Amino acid sequence: MSENLWALREQKRMSVAALANRTGLPVSLIMEYESGQRSIDPRHLSRLARALYVEEADIKLQSDPRPSPTPSEQPPGPEGQPTPKTRGKAARAKAAPKPPAPPRPSQLAHLEILLQKLGRSTAELEAELGKPLAELDRSAVSHLLGQLQAELAKRSAATARRRPYLPESVDEFEARYLTAAQEAGDLLHFTLFDGSRLAGRVIGFGPYTITLRAEDGSEVTINKLAIVTYRKAAPATKENSS
Amino acid sequence: MSLGDYLRILRAKRGGITPWEIEAATNLPRGLYRLMEQRYRAVGDDESIHALADFYGVPFEELRWRLDWPRKALSQALAAALAQGDPITLYLSTGQVVKGKVCWWDLGAVGVDTGDEGLVVVQRHAVERWEPRADLAADTP
Repeated sequence: MSENLWALREQKRMSVAALANRTGLPVSLIMEYESGQRSIDPRHLSRLARALYVEEADIKLQSDPRPSPTPSEQPPGPEGQPTPKTRGKAARAKAAPKPPAPPRPSQLAHLEILLQKLGRSTAELEAELGKPLAELDRSAVSHLLGQLQAELAKRSAATARRRPYLPESVDEFEARYLTAAQEAGDLLHFTLFDGSRLAGRVIGFGPYTITLRAEDGSEVTINKLAIVTYRKAAPATKENSS
Repeated sequence: MSLGDYLRILRAKRGGITPWEIEAATNLPRGLYRLMEQRYRAVGDDESIHALADFYGVPFEELRWRLDWPRKALSQALAAALAQGDPITLYLSTGQVVKGKVCWWDLGAVGVDTGDEGLVVVQRHAVERWEPRADLAADTP
């Protein structure tokens, strides 16, 4: 007696994809054969029979549609329990407010350290709070820790050693001087490491170089490493006397 | 000029040999030469300076005294002079001496009001020694 294709496949515990793979037929075609939408092509019958280890005569050419399972046939959860989805919802619906958790040991240890740093005792703090620390819940201790940390930070800031501001990582002061000289068109006199002297007006500068326009109109860029000192031109009376 | 600046000049004169090559040639600990050149504070000891003096073919003393005049010490002296309004004397590597009140200073230069000549901008790398030295034991920046 011939059987539906889908029944034979399920008997052999084979997936549609596996059957398609073994027969070389498209999955969609096998699904159409199984649903009875199409009768099996005689050319494909032998391939299906070989793949399922059955005789050709065992396969119904036109399969009956597979009966759809009724809700009562759906497998229940283990031991009749609700599925995880419904269990989560039920749990949420029934969830009672949690009792306040006791403080963590690490919180209490941190509290002790902070009190030590602040020079305060546990008894003092308990007197301030009006109840022993053991009666505080986790969130209250957390809040208290925050307060004590803020107090400690305030104290540390007040007693912190103040370091002088050292502008050794900026070059803004020299840049300001050169900018002012450039804007005013001041004549600057440079002394270089090789003993030579240069005079000119700043027309540009960077971190490592200064570009000048000399009195004769020529432009020269000096590397700052080559410079020893520079200054603005001395007042006219002094310049004449020198 | 600080030891770091001077070592940089010597290295440049050698055609820009790398710090790692120098460390390999002198058996200095790895990374020390770079620190000696770049750190603002004094880095190095007599032994390492001896090795470098031999390597560059310069007298030991030529390098050694510079160790006591690091860039950080100049920063401290300039900061103190600026804060107190005291004059400072800068001895430059060209033999010039610039004396006056510090108007400003930064990474690369110092503005010194010399009075007669007005404000003179001195490049820090040209400063070899200075007077007074800041009290190093004081609030060290």
